Amino acid sequence: MEEIRRVRMPLSREDALSLHAGDMVLLDGELVITAGLPTCQRLAECVEGRRELPRPLDGVGLFHLGSYSREAPGGGFEVLYMNPTTSTRFNALMPGLIRGFGLTAVGGKGGLDAACVNAMREVGCVYFSFVGGGAPLLSDAIREVVSVHWNDLVSHYRLVTLRVEALGPVTVGIDAHGNSLYGDLSQAATDRMPAIMAELGRERDEAEHMR
Amino acid sequence: MPITYEMMKRSTAQLYEWSLRKVPDDTLEALRRAREAETNVVAQRTLGILLRSAEMAETQDRLVCSDSGVPTYTIAIGTGVRLEGDIRRAIVDGFEELVATTNPPLLKHVTNPLTNERGYQGKDMPLVTWDIADGADHVDIICQPKALGSGRWAALEIFTFPSLEQIERYVMECVLKAGSQHCPPVNIGVGIGGSFDHCAKMAAKATLRPYGTVNPEPILAAMEERLLKAVNATGFGPMGTGGDTTALGVHIDYCAGHGFTPVAVAFNCWINRRTRAKLYEDGRLERIE
Ligand code: SF4
Repeated sequence: MEEIRRVRMPLSREDALSLHAGDMVLLDGELVITAGLPTCQRLAECVEGRRELPRPLDGVGLFHLGSYSREAPGGGFEVLYMNPTTSTRFNALMPGLIRGFGLTAVGGKGGLDAACVNAMREVGCVYFSFVGGGAPLLSDAIREVVSVHWNDLVSHYRLVTLRVEALGPVTVGIDAHGNSLYGDLSQAATDRMPAIMAELGRERDEAEHMR
Repeated sequence: MPITYEMMKRSTAQLYEWSLRKVPDDTLEALRRAREAETNVVAQRTLGILLRSAEMAETQDRLVCSDSGVPTYTIAIGTGVRLEGDIRRAIVDGFEELVATTNPPLLKHVTNPLTNERGYQGKDMPLVTWDIADGADHVDIICQPKALGSGRWAALEIFTFPSLEQIERYVMECVLKAGSQHCPPVNIGVGIGGSFDHCAKMAAKATLRPYGTVNPEPILAAMEERLLKAVNATGFGPMGTGGDTTALGVHIDYCAGHGFTPVAVAFNCWINRRTRAKLYEDGRLERIE
């Protein structure tokens, strides 16, 4: 198997533009994560200037990853495990956050819709697909919990900044050039439906003749 | 000696804990076979990552997924079994004790649908389906934690005297709608017939059937086979980023009804969480999966 490319987080705009849908990469550096819809609503309020941002988010990678964080015995925070959550439920909020913070990367699982893809192309931002059910693998890449904000929320909703090493591999699901595996696959599947239904009909007839 | 509150409490909590750390063997086997058959390189690698994650969880005693879902149980009480104490309460208390003591702690997923507040407890939680097993000398307990990927994409529609083609088309529509979002490759359960509630339960229960088992009803055995091919022809692939493996199995159950025929479709994500055990009167808990 060929060597998997490693990229430094937060991504430089140049690196973001160099990635293409379907590429697999490993992530090193800092990422900001949350699995909370209320959290993203708060972030949207920050973009609109209605709320104070707890940490700067310009150009960062913001991911739909849920984690269990708690105060460590020696001070600071520790994260016991993490895993992606479905990104599509954030569809309505993401274009505002992508543009507002000029995000270089977003991600989670399941992809984002066409409006997000447009915002990502405008800004130069990619979407990384993390494997769901990959908690042991993903959690082992955590090197440091840099900060935890909005502790009034349940653990997986907090805004957590992590330093990771070789996180992944993750797949570029949407690139900064407007290519989305999700959009393409969904369109291809829809286009294939008549042929799929015809094949089902053929096999159904065959099965009926066998009886 | 009858099966007591204490035994039931311990056993149901234990099953939930097991289910979070182990991908069932039939599923691992199906994932391995899929990886060998895959023609898409990203999909092959993704399946490899999934298998590695499952192996790490099992050998290092860790959670496969951070979304531990909410506990659902399917319990069949053998008619040869005596029960003593508050058996329903035992399941509630078992879950309460588990979330207070398990390591690592679980995230709060139990959601009040009226306020969207999340915690460890909620009305009617855990969700339990009760059944009777004629002649059995044990209580059969299945635990299937339900999270977004294994719960959100289920659907049901009621038809009148549908043809097999209509039924199959509906299943495919549900598959298209879920698309890339439910952590494929999935286990698809389909219920046909009965009534609204019964049909939904059949679909959910159908996802509990192990991969590789053959449907005893020949019409359904053939339907399962062709639907699996059809689902995998959509191309969504592992984790929905493309490939030949969108589902590892389609499992269908049916029952007689009136002619208004519900068709229900349920999904379980790739980790296919489920554990099953038999609880005997002497307190023995025999793990089956
Ligand atoms: S769909 Fe399943 S594997 Fe994916 S994140 Fe949810 S529980 Fe985990």
